[in-house]
Amino acid sequence: MADLQERKLKDAQMRATINQKLVETGERERLKELLRARLIECGWRDELKAYCKEIVQQKGLEHITVDDLVTEMTPRGRSLVPDEVKKELLQRIRTFLAQQSNM
Amino acid sequence: MSSTGCQHLQAYKAAGGKETFRIIYSYFVACSSADARHKKAQICKCVVCGDYRPRLHACLSCIYFGCYDKKHIHQHAEENKHHLAIDVSYGIIYCFVCGDYVYDSELEELARAQCHRASASLGLKQKFFPWEPSEEELILLRCNPKRRRVTEASHIGLRGLINLGNTCFMNCILQSLAHTPILRDYFMADQHACQATDESQQCLVCEMARLYQEFYSGSRTPYIPYRLLHLVWTNARHLAGYEQQDAHEFLIAALDVLHRHCKEMNGISDSNPHHCNCIIDRIFTGGLQSDVTCKRCNNVSTTIDPIWDISLDLGPGSIHSSHLLPSATAAASTAQTPSTGNTGANNGSSGNSSSAPSSLPFASADITTHSPSTSFTNSPGNYEPTSLVECLKRFTKTEHLGNSAKIKCSKCHSYQESTKQLTMKKLPIVACFHLKRFEHSTGYHKKISTFVSFPEELDMTPFMSSARCSNGFNGQVLRSRIPTLTCDNKYSLFAVVNHYGTIESGHYTCYIRSLKEQWYRCEDHLIKRATAGEVLNSEGYLLFYHKQVLEYD
Repeated sequence: MADLQERKLKDAQMRATINQKLVETGERERLKELLRARLIECGWRDELKAYCKEIVQQKGLEHITVDDLVTEMTPRGRSLVPDEVKKELLQRIRTFLAQQSNM
Repeated sequence: MSSTGCQHLQAYKAAGGKETFRIIYSYFVACSSADARHKKAQICKCVVCGDYRPRLHACLSCIYFGCYDKKHIHQHAEENKHHLAIDVSYGIIYCFVCGDYVYDSELEELARAQCHRASASLGLKQKFFPWEPSEEELILLRCNPKRRRVTEASHIGLRGLINLGNTCFMNCILQSLAHTPILRDYFMADQHACQATDESQQCLVCEMARLYQEFYSGSRTPYIPYRLLHLVWTNARHLAGYEQQDAHEFLIAALDVLHRHCKEMNGISDSNPHHCNCIIDRIFTGGLQSDVTCKRCNNVSTTIDPIWDISLDLGPGSIHSSHLLPSATAAASTAQTPSTGNTGANNGSSGNSSSAPSSLPFASADITTHSPSTSFTNSPGNYEPTSLVECLKRFTKTEHLGNSAKIKCSKCHSYQESTKQLTMKKLPIVACFHLKRFEHSTGYHKKISTFVSFPEELDMTPFMSSARCSNGFNGQVLRSRIPTLTCDNKYSLFAVVNHYGTIESGHYTCYIRSLKEQWYRCEDHLIKRATAGEVLNSEGYLLFYHKQVLEYD
């Protein structure tokens, strides 16, 4: 039990460290741009935009809040990301980390 | 639309919050300096739980970060009466009193400027900010509420053209131009402000605008482009007459006249003919890079020429295949007309090589050592390309300029044998490929009817100057070398002009892709639905491709 907790802690720490490196070198912004482009290319953004419009229409323009949209759209958005896009980004991150450890 | 946020934001601004906002934005939302990035990496995480992920907000009144989902930032706002916070991912401001995100034009301006700086500092393309109507435009939109909705089954934008006597060559080019998306958008957005005061000096650009109006009028009867034809004739005399002309020549002549009229009529000074900003140049002009490497000292001499199209040789490869297109195009104008595309002819030397072209200037041994990535199995002398990509490969292949074509090297100051390579330095928004099916040699004319396949989607990355390895070979695209994040070298086919028949008596038809991604076959006044398969199986003479992703500079 304690092991699992420790693992989780270590994972979180590692994630934080990686994130720090990504932010510092500006790689995070670059990855964001790449992701943005890929998601546009594969039509993900258009699909979600349409979904967003649906939600707004359902709830009504007067009553909708950003929180509503975030709650509704996050799971859908996450599930719609194509595997190739995920793979590409993971690969980029791996490459980046490999470069970093060489420096 | 000028937004002023909420009263709390206004109060914040009045108390000098603008500067604080700017600082927080440039350190935690869009960093433009290494120092900022360093700070962000260190401290930009929730004070309570250490999380840095979704919906992290930064307090606008003090240095505090809290996540939204777990309400940590809400607590902070409550306890300290700091009513405003900014989402570090998107830079939008939340007001805890109003319980919603609020938007202020002035702060958005500051944010936008900072975003530009941030993108620039990382060498990224500028972020896209969608169009927002100005006050004027809002009023106009409200006064004119009628909207036209284009349904899936709509035929809008399609119209036949009457053949005025062997004018099918012109009709095909007009159809292709009429369905060039970005050119159409330019004219439909009324962007041509003609300053022609002299009525007799008819502006071809205005006539083009009229063409689009006719095509989108909804009228089903074929259009008679007599005035347009007349204008092209008067401005490009070599094309006048009722004989069948070459569609490619007409395209270049038409683009040239449009380009000239854009400049003349718009009062743009032509002090710098190579940096014209007219719509024709913005859409069609690409940069063809020519690198000549001295074999002795490896000095590379580079020139970049503006081109409107790429003319590709068909038939068996021959290094000394000469011709630039007949002087018809040169007649158009002098320094202002971009060349019609290079054919791989020797730079600087005259068209035809006088020495016997039958003996190839290099042995096949050279080829195997110098072209590692070629998919040619024969030496280029016997090779006939059967696809557009193969034509482009041949076009961008390193040529060995033989003994008879020595270039004076500027570095070692002697005439040396050299190699030459053509690559695309700058890609145009619309790329036109001209398959050179017509051969005009002294005494004989021939048409090459070989089928050359072409794709619906084309990636020009391997043919770019950036794909050129330092030793002058056009290697494969090596991912690690290419710094571009997005593939903005991808093109989509949208028009194909075909020629049927022989060089003496032939007929032009074309395929165009309409507004609704549907292909149509245009034969003068006859427009018929077509399939993509049909298009890709046609012979292909002029191929029009449109960039898939447009970027801001």
